[in-house]
Amino acid sequence: MRDLGVHALLFLFSGSVIVIIGTLFSETDDARAKAILPRRLLRFFLGSLLVLGVMLICEHTLAAV
Amino acid sequence: MSASNPNRSPGSPAVALLLGWFLPGAGHIYLGKLKTGLIAFVVIEALYALGLYFSGGMLLEYLPPEMRGPYAGMLTPEVGNLGALLVQISHYGYGIGHPRPYPPLMDLGTTLTAVSGVLNLVVLSSAHLGARRAEPCLGPGPSPSVAVGASLILPGLGQFLQGRRGRGILIAVLLVSLFTVGCCMGDGANLDRERHFYYWAGQFMLGLPAVVTEFAFGHPRLSFEIIYADGGVVLGCVAGMLNVLVMLDAFHYAEHGPEAGSDPSAASPETHERGGGQAA
Repeated sequence: MRDLGVHALLFLFSGSVIVIIGTLFSETDDARAKAILPRRLLRFFLGSLLVLGVMLICEHTLAAV
Repeated sequence: MSASNPNRSPGSPAVALLLGWFLPGAGHIYLGKLKTGLIAFVVIEALYALGLYFSGGMLLEYLPPEMRGPYAGMLTPEVGNLGALLVQISHYGYGIGHPRPYPPLMDLGTTLTAVSGVLNLVVLSSAHLGARRAEPCLGPGPSPSVAVGASLILPGLGQFLQGRRGRGILIAVLLVSLFTVGCCMGDGANLDRERHFYYWAGQFMLGLPAVVTEFAFGHPRLSFEIIYADGGVVLGCVAGMLNVLVMLDAFHYAEHGPEAGSDPSAASPETHERGGGQAA
């Protein structure tokens, strides 16, 4: 795959922005938002890894060309 | 100590909202705020009329023929000024049936009509708030609608004016950076309303950064393939849509103050304790 590192970096950046803005929206209090942010980021990226794993498995089994 | 739903309401929020949606300022006039209503009407309709004049009413001719459905205009920023948009659709429609050159100030014209629509959304939020809340708002800084308008001009500005400076700066940096990355990936082509009619509507919600960048770099003559054009369009649009969340945050904070969280179920003693210490 071409430019895998660039794609990964872009995903990390855009995903982080979405999660941070989402956290700021859901929590008015800055201190609380700061406290829950690491867990939200972790959950988002672990979930993304899970989806990636499922997609790779599908690509090499059910959807293999 | 419920601050909303006061016993004496000046009118129905839904009626104020609907009236103002079809005719800018009508919601305020319905609530008895004649001067505010008239000013809103004149400013918003003048912007739309000026935009129509510059664009020759050709906004919907940006759409390719296969996308010209009866509701095609409903996902544009102009839909915030629904009455004017409906008049435009009925009067100009999709043009004369074959391609023709756009007026020289087409981009300025369509931007003005979009500004008119979004500005009316801010006015609508003020009318709705005025109808459901007779008591003063609890948040520091400007009124909720002004805070929304500020965040619409520059992401995070509403929060900054409320004294939440760290939050405002963080929002501005994140969203403008995301938008900039999108523009770099799309080589500026993502900013062209003619190329990306609906994505443009999303990124327009980023406010001044999107408009300024569009007029500076948004209409490149393309003689090469832009490899990441699609990614650029998406990131620019996502930045604009995230700013809608930022505006809602500014509005909520201005109305309810620091002691109320966005999610009522998430409110905790810790949140309430921090009530007075939010300012810069």
